[in-house]
Amino acid sequence: MTTHRETLRTARPRVGWFGGVRDRPILLGGLGLVALLVALVMGVGVGSVAIDPADTIAILGHRFLGLDIPQTWSPATETIVVELRMPRILTAMLVGSALAVAGATFQGLLRNPLADPYVLGTASGAALGAAIAVLIPVRLVIFQFGLIQGLAFIGALAAITVVYKLSRNSGLAPLTSLLLTGYAVGSLLAAGLAMAMYLSGAALRQIFTYLLGSFDAATWSRFLATLPIILLASVAILLRARSLNGLLLGEQAAAHLGIDVKRERRILLALASLVTAAAVAISGLIGFVGLVVPHVVRLLVGPSARLVLPLSMIGGAALLAYADIIARLAGGIPVGVVTAILGAPFFLFILRRARTGYEV
Amino acid sequence: MPSLSRTLAFPLSFVLAIGACSSSGAASVAPTSSTVAVASPSAALAPNPTPPLTPVPAPAFPTTLTDDEGTAVTIPVAPQRIVSLTPASTEILFGLGAGSWVIAGTEADDYPPVADALPDVATYEAVDVEKIVGIEADLVIAGGNFFNPPEAIARLRELGIPVLVLYAPDIAGVLADVELIGDAIGLPDAAGEMTAAMQAGFDDVASATAGLDRPRTFYELDVSTGTIYTVADESFSAEMVSLAGGDPITTGSTTDYAIPLERLIVADPELILLGDAAYQVTAAQVKDRTGWDVMTAVRNDAIRPVNDIIITRPGPRLVEGLRELALAIHPDLVLPSAAPIPPLP
Repeated sequence: MTTHRETLRTARPRVGWFGGVRDRPILLGGLGLVALLVALVMGVGVGSVAIDPADTIAILGHRFLGLDIPQTWSPATETIVVELRMPRILTAMLVGSALAVAGATFQGLLRNPLADPYVLGTASGAALGAAIAVLIPVRLVIFQFGLIQGLAFIGALAAITVVYKLSRNSGLAPLTSLLLTGYAVGSLLAAGLAMAMYLSGAALRQIFTYLLGSFDAATWSRFLATLPIILLASVAILLRARSLNGLLLGEQAAAHLGIDVKRERRILLALASLVTAAAVAISGLIGFVGLVVPHVVRLLVGPSARLVLPLSMIGGAALLAYADIIARLAGGIPVGVVTAILGAPFFLFILRRARTGYEV
Repeated sequence: MPSLSRTLAFPLSFVLAIGACSSSGAASVAPTSSTVAVASPSAALAPNPTPPLTPVPAPAFPTTLTDDEGTAVTIPVAPQRIVSLTPASTEILFGLGAGSWVIAGTEADDYPPVADALPDVATYEAVDVEKIVGIEADLVIAGGNFFNPPEAIARLRELGIPVLVLYAPDIAGVLADVELIGDAIGLPDAAGEMTAAMQAGFDDVASATAGLDRPRTFYELDVSTGTIYTVADESFSAEMVSLAGGDPITTGSTTDYAIPLERLIVADPELILLGDAAYQVTAAQVKDRTGWDVMTAVRNDAIRPVNDIIITRPGPRLVEGLRELALAIHPDLVLPSAAPIPPLP
């Protein structure tokens, strides 16, 4: 009879010479944080306007640390650094960490390696909400969000609520029911989206831009409106890492460990959906991060949610931050394209290095 | 709001249509005064435009103007660092003699040739907000109806840069936009001259085509994706075809630019104009298309290329475009020689 802890330890795959870091999750996390810090500096330092790095550092010191530095830069430079680049890179990190933590949660909850934050209809719900917002001729601002962001948020949450409610009255096993209901509702919403796009005329481009995902619309107010939602829900998920570990072993095993399976599943589902909805509201649909980052982390440190969740957050933030920097330097190509180009080969490499059995 | 401009423009196109149908020749050039009235920005906003023909005096800056989306835009000082986010507004700015104040434009700028050399801050997909802030623009002229991303426009305004959003649903709207730009940059007199010259040019064509037969005209915008795109009902391009002496075949909707082949066959065009000629679409290709051989235009070989840019770009060269369109529809038409527009310095 193996204990829960031992099961998790033996499930840890060996990853070739990466094996060195697998027992050092703290080192890995530290490296991730350093990478994030570098991304922050780069994200503020590069863009379509060349700004002297000394000016960049001086502006940041002046504005955020309150240092008394003589102003040698133009007001326009300060606006670019403080109002455009800072919120953008921070939003990229926030969204990356949100998608990765939500993806890790969904994969664990559904015990499905192909699950991502969008698997249960949130993506279609958000996209339909955004499309409807584009088609409504009124420009409203709700709680620092634009109408697009507001309706995308509501659409994502409404979609997952409907999926959850519908899946409960099915005779199927809960997980199968959830996945299939999610697929069905998602298809219906996708049809609605296609219809909205067909009717949108000149607005089609704006809907399309939303579907591709981007941080062009990042502002301080949107960042600050989303930050508490994502932060609080992510912390709540981290605090339930034990439940997630239990659920990973199967419902019966989890019940034996004293976990209220239905309740924990419901709560984790709600938290992960909230995180996803907030992320898609400010950034549109960015694929790949939520699917792959948790897998990479699991391949490196094993399946324990206590490690996978925080390290996924750091990894997701770093991946999306660098992807956005590259996307901007490449003349504004969609960030989702860059995440896939950067992430897919790395993921394949890690997959090929995995020797022992790997499961979510 | 587009709908407001469209409502206002309706009487103009109505008068023109009536005028063009009647055979009373010169009497059909009625719209001149009413158009100029619509063209002045204050009148364009009034529910019932009365014709204040006296030129608007040069506004002292700061000035507050209402753009085509109904947004009140305050311009604090006479703009000297202007960014144009549409090729049409670039042409208008240069035409008004303000070319030296334009510091950045779009990837698509090609006229006047010097505009091509301007730094680009906008592509078809996106607007580079950072660059516009970086070059310290004091006025941005953008395209409405989703021509430029609304998010980018909102962002520029948040950052304190005045953005004038222009969208002309019809010819009267283009003239109104010229006047609006004139007011925004402190050159209302130049704008008045330009609109007067443009109106005279339109009137010349309208009177020359007034008594002529009006062939059913299919204006091809694009067929490259398999869907046939042409002019929508009451659209800018439909108005151009009407003014040029054609009877436009439209999609049957004011918002949908796609026309089913069946509808086109039933409408039986007598003339096909290839607005996509610049994309290597030729008359020979049209004849080879399945199902098109029943159309009168195809049987009679009445398929002609036109220069889409000057016909559809809502700028000062629209008169040239209308003349080209009129000659494509009525090859034997004799047009009076036109004053060059814009009167480039």
